Amino acid sequence: MQHIRDGIMVVNTETIAGKVITQNLGVVGGSTVRAKHIGKDIGALFKNIGGGELKAYTELLEESRTEAIARMVADASARGANAIVNVRFATSAVTAGASELFAYGTAVTVE
Amino acid sequence: MRSIDARVRILTASLLLSVLSSGVAMAQESVSASEDPPFILICLGPFLLIALGFVVFGILWAVFAPIMFVYGVIFSERNLNKRMSDLVLRESASIEHFGKDPLSTLKGGHIVGGAKETGLVYSSIVFSPSHWQLIIAWINQLFGGRIDVIHRVISVGRAEAKQRLREQAQAAGWDEVLNVRIDTAEMTPASKPKGTKAVEVFAYGTGIKFG
Repeated sequence: MQHIRDGIMVVNTETIAGKVITQNLGVVGGSTVRAKHIGKDIGALFKNIGGGELKAYTELLEESRTEAIARMVADASARGANAIVNVRFATSAVTAGASELFAYGTAVTVE
Repeated sequence: MRSIDARVRILTASLLLSVLSSGVAMAQESVSASEDPPFILICLGPFLLIALGFVVFGILWAVFAPIMFVYGVIFSERNLNKRMSDLVLRESASIEHFGKDPLSTLKGGHIVGGAKETGLVYSSIVFSPSHWQLIIAWINQLFGGRIDVIHRVISVGRAEAKQRLREQAQAAGWDEVLNVRIDTAEMTPASKPKGTKAVEVFAYGTGIKFG
């Protein structure tokens, strides 16, 4: 796993250990709505009857999270930040089979 | 994201094309009397295709839904127990690797001496009870009290998400994971009760490497 993306450190604690926050650049966020194609949806529907993990949707969540983080990082680098602290995730179910994922945090510069 | 857009564009383009071709066919019909497929068929073409899709889905449903239901009746409890005992082994393996449970909800104030590196760690799982378990839960609801079936499914899902977080941390080489949050969300909105009944759990935290 890549812990530094495009030179921007992303953490969900309020401070970065060993660094000092020098400037607060405001809240940055990135969101995405993604869905799997209908074949995987139907597969998941059948798997749902039997119970257990729905791998297609786990994958979907993973993809949308990566994309939301990437957008958040792009937002932060546009503001000239070099770190994002106190990152939070939020999901909402817009329609069945689609997931909306929202990542947000505070863009800061650290030294 | 771009690929999904492309697919939507192709779909719209093909729909437009079919409408256009039916228009062209109409024009041709007025010019020449030779008509291979009947005009009404060309106009209804897209709708017929959609209807065919529904028929295929109906047949699939009629065949596989009972099979999956029986599978759920026989194997859902067994699979759950297997995953539970599996998790115990994996948990003890990663606790052995770290020397303690690496996950904590502390914010790092307890760490003396500072850290070399920090970064985000995350993991997720989408988990669902089988329809058989839902039926048992429904019967339990009639009597009230504790509904153990669903509780077990959700707690196993959560334990799995936590264990995946530990494994991610191990793979990335972190010494500890701070400020762990575990979020649970429903896959299907409450306004659509007929959709997939699944629970998504995702866990995230800040990995830390001691200096």
